[in-house]
Amino acid sequence: MPPTPSIVERPQRWDVAFDPAMTDADVDRLMATPPFSNMPVEKFPKRTPLREILRNDTSIRRYRKGEIIVRQGDYGTSAFLILSGATRVVLKPDLPPSLLGRQAPSKKGFFRTLAQLWSERRPPESFRRKDLRHDSGLGARRDEDENVRVFLQDLPRVLDKHRTEEMTAGDFFGEIAALSRMPRTSTIFTASDEAELLEIRWQGLRDLMRSSDELRKHIDRIYRERALASYLRATPIFRHLSKEQLADLATQVQFASYGDYDWSGDYKRLAKAGSMRPEKEPVIVQEGDYPNGVVLLRAGFARVSQKFGSGERTLNYIGAGQLFGFDEIAHNFQKPQDPVPYQHTLRAIGYTHLLIVPTRVMEQLVLPTLSQKELSRFANGRDGAPPPSAPQPSATPIAADTLEFLTANRFFNGTATMVIDLDRCTRCDDCVRACASTHDNNPRFLRHGPSSGRLMVANACMHCADPVCMIGCPTGAIHRESFAGQVVINPATCIGCKACANNCPYEAIRMVEIRDEGGEFIMGEDLRPILKATKCDLCVESWGGPACERACPHGALERMNLNDLESLADWMKR
Amino acid sequence: MSRFGRQTVVGTFLLLLASAGVVIAHRRWSEELPNYAYLSGWVLMAVMILLALYNMRKRLPFLSLGSSEAWLQIHVYAGFFTVILFLAHLKFRMPTGWFEGALAWLYILVTGSGIVGLFLSRVLPRRLATRGGEVIYEKIPALRNALRQEAETLVLAGGPQVIANFYTENLHDFFRRPKYFWPHLLDSRRPLNAIVTELDELRRYLNEAERTTLEKLADLVRRKDGLDYHHALQVTLKLWLFVHLPLTYSLMIFSVLHIIIVFAFSGGAR
Repeated sequence: MPPTPSIVERPQRWDVAFDPAMTDADVDRLMATPPFSNMPVEKFPKRTPLREILRNDTSIRRYRKGEIIVRQGDYGTSAFLILSGATRVVLKPDLPPSLLGRQAPSKKGFFRTLAQLWSERRPPESFRRKDLRHDSGLGARRDEDENVRVFLQDLPRVLDKHRTEEMTAGDFFGEIAALSRMPRTSTIFTASDEAELLEIRWQGLRDLMRSSDELRKHIDRIYRERALASYLRATPIFRHLSKEQLADLATQVQFASYGDYDWSGDYKRLAKAGSMRPEKEPVIVQEGDYPNGVVLLRAGFARVSQKFGSGERTLNYIGAGQLFGFDEIAHNFQKPQDPVPYQHTLRAIGYTHLLIVPTRVMEQLVLPTLSQKELSRFANGRDGAPPPSAPQPSATPIAADTLEFLTANRFFNGTATMVIDLDRCTRCDDCVRACASTHDNNPRFLRHGPSSGRLMVANACMHCADPVCMIGCPTGAIHRESFAGQVVINPATCIGCKACANNCPYEAIRMVEIRDEGGEFIMGEDLRPILKATKCDLCVESWGGPACERACPHGALERMNLNDLESLADWMKR
Repeated sequence: MSRFGRQTVVGTFLLLLASAGVVIAHRRWSEELPNYAYLSGWVLMAVMILLALYNMRKRLPFLSLGSSEAWLQIHVYAGFFTVILFLAHLKFRMPTGWFEGALAWLYILVTGSGIVGLFLSRVLPRRLATRGGEVIYEKIPALRNALRQEAETLVLAGGPQVIANFYTENLHDFFRRPKYFWPHLLDSRRPLNAIVTELDELRRYLNEAERTTLEKLADLVRRKDGLDYHHALQVTLKLWLFVHLPLTYSLMIFSVLHIIIVFAFSGGAR
């Protein structure tokens, strides 16, 4: 008898509401509140009516005075609309790391380094009381839904020492970070005794923007004013443009987002099901189409592929700051009698936010300012310029199977991925011992992981360019170190909620039950062990760089930015 | 030229240069310099201390003492350099007396085990990467146990009697512990081929369904063989250090005793 298929209800967009507690009364109230009251209900598609967006993609949050709503440097997936009360945005100087729940960047001193000679005898995952003490200026409480809320204890002192600006009912914030996957640029806290905010998850914000011209224009204006101008100024191909030309360019650039913002969970699910196929990734640019613009990746990653037989062959992947389509447009500009279409397909991997400079703008504003040498350099990706958008198979520095391996596993996300050359690795575990010695007898990685040929990617935090683990940390404990950008966890403010560990697509974060110096488990008032998230911190406190890399006697282990394929190729050929 | 190739060329050139310097110094000073034995001895001791310091560097990975890779390069070339220093200190003659003989033998064993270790660490990793997947050494017993249980469930729980008998007589011990250490170390597949051939012989006694069981068993045998291959190679890569290190400590102790004896009894060595 043939097996009968399992029949389930087809998953729908709003199967899981952002806040199941949203009531009809809440939605009615929002429908009567600007800007929603001004939105043309009839312009919303039938599948995503305004009312349902508000019911399923928003949540009304109530904050008390001093509570931190968003932290500078955090990654977030939602924007906020102030419904009542007031908040303040910190302008200058920034709040110190300790008030944001973070560790102040520091290196171990001579005596602390030397003390590691005997600290190896400490019980595993043990902490001294002072290690778990956080800034006294910071308080925490649990709200009615058991979510942790962090607040500033001494608000007058903060207001006295930092220049802030008030935001009141009707003001939006956090929309750029939510839509473009950029870190939050400022810290915002509640200034009034109570404030009511509407949190809108990014999917809802995207749908609202599609149907509301007013909101789209508002966000478009803010984006162009706050984020775009500085980005364009720092982009090498626009270096010769004058201030006026840059301003003109900023008004004509289009921006778009592709893929799924919550790609981590999706990636884990697809990887488990074994259905990671490039054909499923959203197409940004199709091979053979007319080149209607240069694509600049602002955040996320994209796969460059080419038709090969009945399928597609991956030629490269590009990340933030890199270009696609430049060479075709430059070629057509120089040889209008011999135009070429896009030579390759560009697909979003996970979540991709990008800017498109239309061909007409490129031809009128940008290309005339570039010399012949620059035109060929940008097209060929040399001298630190963006890599080629049209790499030839022979020019790809990495073997095709290795490239597929890196792309399928999303390893290009790592800025300090632990790669091991299995032809050189004697499996001596000196790297693991060095890691344990440097972290009070607690190794922070596994010398094991997926491999392709002689290349193994070990199970260690890769310090991702797109750190999905940082989305949703309620206390800011997981953060980027301000100097070199390593992703680190502050044990003092980690509450063991597992958000980061669940988010990490590479299973590189582990939850551990912590002990005191005597080796006894530390328990909460509910007599359950206290959990802390742990992972590789790239030996951020030690001198000389990652201990694992320094400890390998055979040069078999390297911490590498896998978005730089040239370096990987050089390392493999060494 | 690759980085490793460049390292080898530079290291070999420096080694040859230093060795030539020792030979020239020996020719010029061995007879003329009254304290030549002291000089060559102290230089040899200094290089030996440098070699021994590598182990200390490995024990203090949290200190910023340079990369272990650079230390190993120095260790290897300085180790080769001690050969010429050792011979110069002996004045290119055979050692005399039991203490000097023991010291010489210890030196030979330490140097020999070092060279063997270097050879193994360059050859075995490549082989590990080609067979048996990637296995963490400490997990091998658990994986072996899991394979044994899988094989026993397959064969003994409702499998054909022919296969059950074959398993009991020929494969029970194979799945129970690591096997064929030396063939694996020498990269011989003869034991695996022998088992697979014997399994193939059983096919004629089995029906179609039972042959499927046999094929699954053959697959488990191959996986176990791959595990044994990793065990043999990884244990060799770990064990040679357990020979090299105790010998090194013994050599250092004997060398210190040698120095004490020289100063206590020589009254001015030449």
